[in-house]
Amino acid sequence: MNALLILVPITLVLAGIAVGLFFWAVNHAQFEDLDTPKILPLLDAAPPRHGNDDAPR
Amino acid sequence: MSAPVELWTRPALLDQVLRSRRDGRVEVVLRVAALAQPRRVLQLEQVLHALPGVASIALCIAARRVRVVFDAERLPLTQLLAACARAGCVAQPLQHDASGAAPGIALNASLKRLAVAGIFAMQAMMFALVLYLGAVNPLDPTTAHLFRWLGLVSAIPVVGYAAWPFYREALAGMRARRPGIDVPVALAIACIFAASVANALRGSGEIYFDSISMFVFVLLLGRHLELRAQARHRADGDAATDALPLLAQRRHADGTLETVAAVELVPGERVHVPEGDAAPCDGVLASERARVDASRWSGESRAVGHARGDRIAAGSVAVDGPLDLRVERTLATSSVAALERMTAAAQRARGLVGDDDAPAARRFVWRVLALAVATCAFWLWRDPARAFDATVAVLVVACPCAFGLAAPAVLTRSLALLSRRGVLVTRAAAVRALARVDRALFDKTGTLTEPALQPDRVETFRGVARETALRWAVALARESSHPVAQAIARVPADGVPLAHGVEIVAGGGVRGVVDGRPMRLGHAGFAGTDCDDAALWLADAQGPLARLPLAERVRADASACIKALQAVGVACALVSGDAPTRVRTVAAALGIAGWHARQAPADKLAHVRAGQAVGQVVLVVGDGGNDAAALAAADVSATPGGAVELARAHADLLLPAGLAGLPLARALAERAMQVLAQNRRWSLAWNLGAVPFAAAGLVPPWLAAIGMSASSLAVVLNSLRIRAARAPHAPPMALHERTT
Repeated sequence: MNALLILVPITLVLAGIAVGLFFWAVNHAQFEDLDTPKILPLLDAAPPRHGNDDAPR
Repeated sequence: MSAPVELWTRPALLDQVLRSRRDGRVEVVLRVAALAQPRRVLQLEQVLHALPGVASIALCIAARRVRVVFDAERLPLTQLLAACARAGCVAQPLQHDASGAAPGIALNASLKRLAVAGIFAMQAMMFALVLYLGAVNPLDPTTAHLFRWLGLVSAIPVVGYAAWPFYREALAGMRARRPGIDVPVALAIACIFAASVANALRGSGEIYFDSISMFVFVLLLGRHLELRAQARHRADGDAATDALPLLAQRRHADGTLETVAAVELVPGERVHVPEGDAAPCDGVLASERARVDASRWSGESRAVGHARGDRIAAGSVAVDGPLDLRVERTLATSSVAALERMTAAAQRARGLVGDDDAPAARRFVWRVLALAVATCAFWLWRDPARAFDATVAVLVVACPCAFGLAAPAVLTRSLALLSRRGVLVTRAAAVRALARVDRALFDKTGTLTEPALQPDRVETFRGVARETALRWAVALARESSHPVAQAIARVPADGVPLAHGVEIVAGGGVRGVVDGRPMRLGHAGFAGTDCDDAALWLADAQGPLARLPLAERVRADASACIKALQAVGVACALVSGDAPTRVRTVAAALGIAGWHARQAPADKLAHVRAGQAVGQVVLVVGDGGNDAAALAAADVSATPGGAVELARAHADLLLPAGLAGLPLARALAERAMQVLAQNRRWSLAWNLGAVPFAAAGLVPPWLAAIGMSASSLAVVLNSLRIRAARAPHAPPMALHERTT
C-alpha cells in the first residue's frame, strides 16, 4: 500500500511529462514536415549550381 | 516570372504575402519550383538556416512550398529571396490568404488531443484494471476508493480537453438545427462522466472512466486519420499553385516602365505584359496585335490572335511577344475574380447539403435517449435504488462508438486505396456522392483530349535528318512538364542526348544546349519564326531546324473511362467551350451522344444545376479553368492531368494517373458505401441488442468496456475488406516532376 502511494503519483507525473514533451514537439513544428528529414541524410552536399535551369514555369 | 527581388519592399505587396505572428515574427510561404529536385532541398535548407533572423523553416516537398518564420527587423524579405535565388532556388512569395495555413493548424490541434486522449486513456485503463481484478481478489475498501479517484483524475484531461471538438461540433449542430453524430457522442460523454463522478464521490456504484476515455481516444483516432489523409492529398494538389501575378509593369506617358503591385493599378493606365507572363488585369489591347493563350479561362485549345482594341482577360498569357494593355478593370473586379466568386458561391451552396450521417445519427440519438428514459422510469417504479446505475449502463452500452467510427474507418481505407491507384481525394465526403453519381459532364480540352505530335509530318530544314531533329526535340521537351512538351517527350527515339543549361520560359518554350549547340523548342514566336498555331518549332542560333506539327488527340484512357461509366449507368455528356466541329469529332470518337459546344462558364454551371434540379447526382470532370464554377457546383468534381491542372481545379478527385482512375474510383466508392452500411447495421445491432441486458442491470463495467472495444474493432476490420477492383497495370504516380 505504501509502495502504491509513491508509484501511482509517479505514473501520473510521467504521463504529464510525456504530454508536455509531445506538445513541445508539435508546437516546434516537429510534425510539420515528415518528408524531408528522411531524404536529407542520403544527399551529399553539392555546391550550389549557377545555371538557372529551374525557373518556375 | 521575372519579378525583381527589390520590389518586395513595397508595403502594399508585403501586406499580401507576410503574415504577422503573435511572437512578433512574420511568416511567409514561398513557392519554390526547384524543390522537385531532392538535391536542392538540402541546399535550400542550409542556406536558409545560415541567414540571420530565420526562426524556423518547414518544407513541403509535395506542395513545393517553404514556410519561413523570420524576424522582419533583422532580415528583410528581399534578402531572403536573394539568398534563395543564389542557392539556385528561385522563390516566389504566395499570398498569405491563399497559402492555406488552416489544415496544418487543425492537424496539429488534433494530434495534441489524440496524444492526451491516448496517454490518459491508458492511465485510466490501468487503474480500472486494478478494480476489475478486485472482483476476483477483493481489495480493501481504502485501496478501491483510491483507485476510483485515480480513474477520475486520469479521465479529466480526456473529457475536459481531448473531447472538446465533440462538444463544439455538437453545439454548432444544435444551433444550426442539424444535429449530427457529435450530439449523441457529446451527450454520452457528458452523461457517463457526470454519473461516474457522482458515483466516485459517493463511493458506491459503477464508474466508467476507462470506457469513456477509450471511447474518446478511438473516435479521435478515426477523425485524425481522416484529417491527415485529406491534408496530404490537398498538399499534392497544391503542388503548382500559380496565382494571378502579384506584380505588374506600368508604362508611363514617356514610355518608361515601372514595376508596381497589381493591386495598385487603376483603370485607364497602361501596363506592359512581357512575353510568357500573365495579364495582371482585364484590359483593352493597346499594342498593334498580340497572341494570348487564354486556355485557362476560355477553354479555347489554341492561342488566339488579337488586334488593337480587343478585350483581354486577366490571367491570359502573352505568347509570341510582349503586349501592352490599357487597364479596364482591376484585379479585384476582373473577370477572373468574378469567376472565383462564382466558384466560391457554388462551393458554399454545396456545403449545406451532403452529410448523410445527420438523419441516421438523429434517429439514433432519439432511440438511445428514449431507451435511457424508459429504463430510468422502469427502475424508479420497480426499485429506485438501482435506477441511476441502470440508466448509466444503458448509456454506456448504447454509446455510438462503433457507429461514430464506421464512416471514418471506411473513408480512411477508401482514400488510402484510391491514392495507391492514382486517385487523390481532397474532400472525403465526395466518396459518398461518387457512389450515387448518375450523370457525368466532361470538359474537352485538357480533359478528354491532349496535344500529340504527328511524327511523320515533321518537316526539317537546312539538311537535318528527321531522326536527329526528333532526338534534339525530345532532349529539350523532356525537361518540361508542360502537356505539349510531354507529348513530344513521349515520341519514341533512340540515343537522346542530354540537354544542358536548360531554361523553361513560361508561355514560350524550352531553351538549352544539346549536342553542344544552343537550341530553342517552343511556339513559333519563341523559336524565331512567323506565327504558326498548329506546330512547335525547333531552332538554333542560325534559324529554324524543324517544324513539329501538333494535333489534338483523344486521350488513350478516355474511351475506356467513358465506356466503363456508361456501363454502370452513368449518363455521360460533353460540355466544352471549344468550336462545334472539334467538339462533335471528339464526342463521336468516344460514343458520347450529348454534346454542347461554345459553352461559357455560366452555361456549364447551368447544365449542372439542371441535372441537380431533376434529382441527378452530377459528376463534372474538367481542368478547372472556365469550368471552375461547374466543378464547384457539382456533387463530385474530378480533374485529370498534370500538376498545374490539378492545382487550379480544386476538385474533389485529382487524377494524376489519368482518367482510368475514374471508373475505378466509382466502383470503389460503391463498395465503400456497402461496407459503410454494413458497419452501421452491425454497430446499431450491437448497441440496441446489448441495451436490454444493460437495462436489466446485467452488464458490469468491464463487460461494457470489452463490448465497446470489440464492436469498434469489428467495424475497423470490416472496413479493411474494401479492396480496389483489379488494378489495370497500376499506373505510377506521375504527379511529381521528373528529376534529371
